[in-house]
Amino acid sequence: MSLVVDVLAGGVRGGTSIMYAGLGETVSERSGVINLGTEGAMLVGALAGYAVTAETGSPWIGALGGAAAGALLASIHALLVVVRKANQFASGLTLLFLALGVTSFYGSDYVGKSINPFTKWDVPGLSDIPWIGEIFFQNDPLIYVSYVAVPLIWFVLFRTRMGLLVRTAGERSDSLTVNGYSVERIRSAAVIAGGALSGLGGAHLSIAYANAWFENMVVGRGFIAVALVIFASWSPLRVMGGAYLFGSALALAPALQARGYGVNQFALDVIPFVLTLLVLAVLGKRTLAAAPDELKRVFENAPAKT
Amino acid sequence: MTTTLPAPRSEAPLPVAPPEAPASDRGARLAQATVRWIAALGGAFLIFSALLISKNANPLTVYTDAWNSTFARQQSIEDIVIKMAPFVLAALAVVVPARAGMANVGGEGQVIIGAVAACGTAMAVGDALPGVTVMVLMMLAGMVAGALWAGIAGAMRLLLKVNEAVTTLLLNYVALDVLLFLIYQPWRADPTGQPATKELQTAAKLPLLAGTTVNVGIVIAVIAVVLVWIALSFTTWGFSLSVVGGNAEAARRAGLPVAKLLLSALLVGGALAGLAGMVHFAGVEYKLRPGFGAQIGYTAFLASWLARHKPIPVLLACFVFAALTVAGDSLQLDAGLPAATVNILTGLILIAVLGWTTSTRKANS
Amino acid sequence: MSARTRRLAAFTGAIAALAVALSSCSAASSGGGGGGASGSDSSEPGTGGTAVGFIMVGPKDDFGYNQAVYDGSEIIKKKFPDLKVITAENVPEDDNAARTMEQMIDKGAKIIFATSYGHLDAAVQVAKDHPDVVVIQQGNTITDTVEPNMGTYFGTVYEPMYLAGIAAGKATKSDKLGYVYAFPIPQTIANINAFERGAQSVNPDAETITVSTSSWCDPAKQRSAADSLLSQGVDVITQHQDCTKTVIEAAEAKGAMTVGYHADASSLAPKGWITGAVWNWGPLYTDIVQTIVDGKFVGSEYNANYRVGYKTGENPFVLAPYGKVVDAQTKAAIETAKAFLSTATGSPFVGPVIAQDGSIAVAAGKVPTYAEVDGMNYFVKGVIGKLSS
Repeated sequence: MSLVVDVLAGGVRGGTSIMYAGLGETVSERSGVINLGTEGAMLVGALAGYAVTAETGSPWIGALGGAAAGALLASIHALLVVVRKANQFASGLTLLFLALGVTSFYGSDYVGKSINPFTKWDVPGLSDIPWIGEIFFQNDPLIYVSYVAVPLIWFVLFRTRMGLLVRTAGERSDSLTVNGYSVERIRSAAVIAGGALSGLGGAHLSIAYANAWFENMVVGRGFIAVALVIFASWSPLRVMGGAYLFGSALALAPALQARGYGVNQFALDVIPFVLTLLVLAVLGKRTLAAAPDELKRVFENAPAKT
Repeated sequence: MTTTLPAPRSEAPLPVAPPEAPASDRGARLAQATVRWIAALGGAFLIFSALLISKNANPLTVYTDAWNSTFARQQSIEDIVIKMAPFVLAALAVVVPARAGMANVGGEGQVIIGAVAACGTAMAVGDALPGVTVMVLMMLAGMVAGALWAGIAGAMRLLLKVNEAVTTLLLNYVALDVLLFLIYQPWRADPTGQPATKELQTAAKLPLLAGTTVNVGIVIAVIAVVLVWIALSFTTWGFSLSVVGGNAEAARRAGLPVAKLLLSALLVGGALAGLAGMVHFAGVEYKLRPGFGAQIGYTAFLASWLARHKPIPVLLACFVFAALTVAGDSLQLDAGLPAATVNILTGLILIAVLGWTTSTRKANS
Repeated sequence: MSARTRRLAAFTGAIAALAVALSSCSAASSGGGGGGASGSDSSEPGTGGTAVGFIMVGPKDDFGYNQAVYDGSEIIKKKFPDLKVITAENVPEDDNAARTMEQMIDKGAKIIFATSYGHLDAAVQVAKDHPDVVVIQQGNTITDTVEPNMGTYFGTVYEPMYLAGIAAGKATKSDKLGYVYAFPIPQTIANINAFERGAQSVNPDAETITVSTSSWCDPAKQRSAADSLLSQGVDVITQHQDCTKTVIEAAEAKGAMTVGYHADASSLAPKGWITGAVWNWGPLYTDIVQTIVDGKFVGSEYNANYRVGYKTGENPFVLAPYGKVVDAQTKAAIETAKAFLSTATGSPFVGPVIAQDGSIAVAAGKVPTYAEVDGMNYFVKGVIGKLSS
């Protein structure tokens, strides 16, 4: 049993950064824009979160700094694909290169620097519940924030006017134009908000989870987030579940090793991607039916309707 | 080489190509485009200079040193040509599917799988066969494996209507884990030590061009460019791909076998990327290691965009990316900046080219 | 602009570039005899250069392995003002390493330190191509013939890890020690085994649980590894990672103790710091460079797989300052053990050494040589974890 609790607790802790990035990507894709630069947004978020925490002494301000940096990087994506109509895949990958360069350029000052990170805080009462407490309520504050953020993002996307506009931009953008809304503005806002969430995910990595900044420390977690959004068929609630599932897959190798088993870690690392491919293969059309229409146009390389 | 000059192209204009402008207009538009490119690239360098200054580095010194150690040094130029070969092949893997309107984001994985197949072939045949035979077998294995890997995405698109951009991207990471799995256990040369496969037998390593350190990969790449260019510009297949890429529905109504065409474009693309992996393995690395082929696929994807998915400009785009990689060494060794700094310049140049060298109206088509 | 003109222009450019490349290639003389050496008086490899190059696999300020190398290179800068010190960080362990070394040679370096275990292949290749340059590699072992312009060097880092194991074995209350490592290279295996044997020497019940991260520095994986160990009741954690901060802070946050590696990180763990193996490359680097510039490299002890330990003196590893948890009795035990390691027959691996599977790895009374320890490919009894993972 302790193995299950260990793996699930590890899944929550390690999966949260992927979840934030996945939520960000969900918001962006719901408006009809895919951002392969999520990895880059996490990188700048990780560095900015760390640097701001180091300079101000407050991880809360650091988390905001991480979100701001992610938003800033995503605003370049918005400018390129929404305003300048550049190809979305190419623009996203470009931002990945840019982020690798920028974080290495400015990050060398912060490698090895000490910070005052987020620390574990046990939720009174809840943390004592057997299993559940250990898995969900003995964590860092940014994880608790995510418990609120997920339903909030779901609510905003599906129950508010703002969310309706974002979703319409992703489904039938021409109807927005007819009604006098600026599709460009709505999409840009969604992409930038998505970048902020991805940046926050990166900051979780550097100031709450690993408590360190190192060059290229995100190593692929941003791409796991892109897979996660598809796996979760663009639903914030399922993103949360998927993030814990993927996180648990990553936590399984060390948990087994610590119990003396030999594991080839890569047979486990591949799980998120294989699961997503399987979901696509099995549910195929059903998954894709959930995809925003305008996003399908991007995939199908058809000119966007604006 | 002269046979590859694009002269005959105008005699057989593709229906999807924009109508040729009258000559008088053409000069003006050329001038306008030149100004656009110069302004965009100038902007990129300007921003990069500002960043350098923010780190107390003198941009002029940095550029001069980088130029000197990149282009005024024979070994550097050889390094660029060596680096270029897999980029070119992997970029062609984007060019061909793009002609049919598909985005192959999976070069990264197809390169790795191609190298894995090549390595596996070399290990399987051992020293039993002459080197040249092993090379040919590796090439075939790499191409078949790359094509099959891309074929998974092709099959999912045709049978399940799952988009290839999504699947090729996901398959990159599956390929990476396949590579790591193999070199951590079954193919590991030495149970202790850092994970890597046994070194490729000397006879099967790609030969070098006389008197240089450059392997024949570049020759393979240039031949591939010419073949792809001919196939896309002068064959029915290439013509049909353009029609599908222009409007798949219309192509279907015109009786073209759209499904077969899409699949063939992806398979050819995958084979080219697999070949890139084989060239990188048998020409440069000789062993599979954890970071094998990292970012070749993504770099090539961007190179193809930089070249507007045209085979011959791809050569130039890949030359630029290879040169930037080599110039990165100078930023580190001369200016003491982190090696990855050059990625900033790469990113800025791409942003400038993607965003500001075409009018927004046609950029997405 | 018509597609045709643009294509033509691009094509011509590409061909021109290629022509430049190929024509300049044809005038090649790849490597070989003393390219830029200004006809200096001596033909000894490594002499007559104007620079010393250091390549590192990670960032120079990682609180760990690479920082120790960088600190050593700073000493060279001071001791040899005539030589320019060129450093390159984040050099991957593939063909890029050879390219970086070639560039350093072009900038006047005749001495190159290739400092990561995985840089060996590239180092050998560069040494073969440039007989006039001395390439020395840190931490690996050349099993073939050693070229006259090559060598490897390392310290017996497992000796201070044995001493640290004594401190850990005394300090643990759960009798469970944790070890986070990257790859099962012989160096790491020897460290883990020595640590466990040190602990056993004072606490027969102590066991060492191992988790590998398959990366020299991936902080998120390190956190995950540390969490797994801590949840198994481990109360002392040590590691073989290039960057060490994450694991130390994760242990400290959970109230566990830490044995450091590479650098004195006691500031990161004010409560749980025990001690650690810390590097001091300066004296060894200085001696190596001096030997080379004096033209005495070929045939010297450095022109081989050079190892230095407590018995040869000048171990580049020193024990970090003790933390609060180490009592006087433990310190005395460590001093005794250190005195033993400094004797001619002293070693953490004096037989009998029993391997994990119960077989006898070193017969009773036998003292393995440095080379034998360098080839270690088994865990000793008391280590939990499979090697071939």
